[in-house]
Amino acid sequence: MAEEENGAAAAAGEFYLRYYVGHKGKFGHEFLEFEFRPDGKLRYANNSNYKNDTMIRKEVFLTPSVLKECRRIVSDSEIMKEDDNNWPEPDRVGRQELEIVMGNEHISFTTSKIGSLMDVQTSKDPEGLRIFYYLVQDLKCFVFSLISLHFKIKPI
Amino acid sequence: MANTADVDALDFEPDDDDLMDEDAAVDVDASSPSAATHIPKLKSAITGGSAAAGASSGPKKTKGRGFREETDAGRNSRMSGRFDSLDSDGGPGPERSIEGWIILVTGVHEEAQEDDLQNAFGEFGEIKNLHLNLDRRTGFVKGYALIEYENYEEAEKAIATMDGGELLTQTVNVDWAFSRGPFKRRNNRRRSPHGHRSRSPRRRF
Repeated sequence: MAEEENGAAAAAGEFYLRYYVGHKGKFGHEFLEFEFRPDGKLRYANNSNYKNDTMIRKEVFLTPSVLKECRRIVSDSEIMKEDDNNWPEPDRVGRQELEIVMGNEHISFTTSKIGSLMDVQTSKDPEGLRIFYYLVQDLKCFVFSLISLHFKIKPI
Repeated sequence: MANTADVDALDFEPDDDDLMDEDAAVDVDASSPSAATHIPKLKSAITGGSAAAGASSGPKKTKGRGFREETDAGRNSRMSGRFDSLDSDGGPGPERSIEGWIILVTGVHEEAQEDDLQNAFGEFGEIKNLHLNLDRRTGFVKGYALIEYENYEEAEKAIATMDGGELLTQTVNVDWAFSRGPFKRRNNRRRSPHGHRSRSPRRRF
């Protein structure tokens, strides 16, 4: 049963995840970054210099259950099987980084910003990039919920 | 079974690089004929002393351009410095959020509706907030829900009653979402009897 498998995968070994998206431009270095650490700490940083110079940095400890759900999302996506070799390289428009340690595997992928599914479709590795594209959205969604519920801020 | 989790001492030195030589040769600018042999080591900001490396054990299979790029000096400063958190004593147990207590429900059926959760979890107290996030690709429920109650007792009752229970034919697990401190590794069945021998020093921030 899939549930079982995920449970097992989720329980084994270490887990670390970091996502970054940002660019340097007219308003300085604007970025969003979050990190799930093995001890349960979730860190969230969002720097936007547009209009106001605010840097939001929040951290909170998660329970093992939350970390496990994060692992489940990652392992269901099968991102660890992908490779960023044929993904668009980071450019002036922006940069994304996804670093994950799960069990015995460690990925550190980089690519440009992805505006829409169109960019995915026309890339050299649409299947792999699509997995990345949706995983990132699902992770952001998860993190934004956690941060906004805990701190009552609008994360974006 | 990939049970190498207990192999000691993380080592990102040469043998890991073997994996990447091939790919790197493509990416690294060919200005130097020996480019492929001068791939930056992984001790960059991305792994060196990072939480990822610090807490892991055993050599990892690495993959991705992130390992082959110049150290991003900005990264350390981005994630260092002060991060705001709610006052917490760092002790064990659940942490209160700013307006209440948040629980996580997992194993939620992909066709669940907010009403299903309202019905199942509303009986323990008024639900102040409910996030039932969707899978961005399929549009179905992703599989988890976050629920906020105003009072500790309500959340506690929901966890005690619903954890391991059934919702729309699926078994759901229910637990606190936030904790007052880092979690201990007591229920790690797979750990070697030596426990954590080679934990790296804590990060300096």
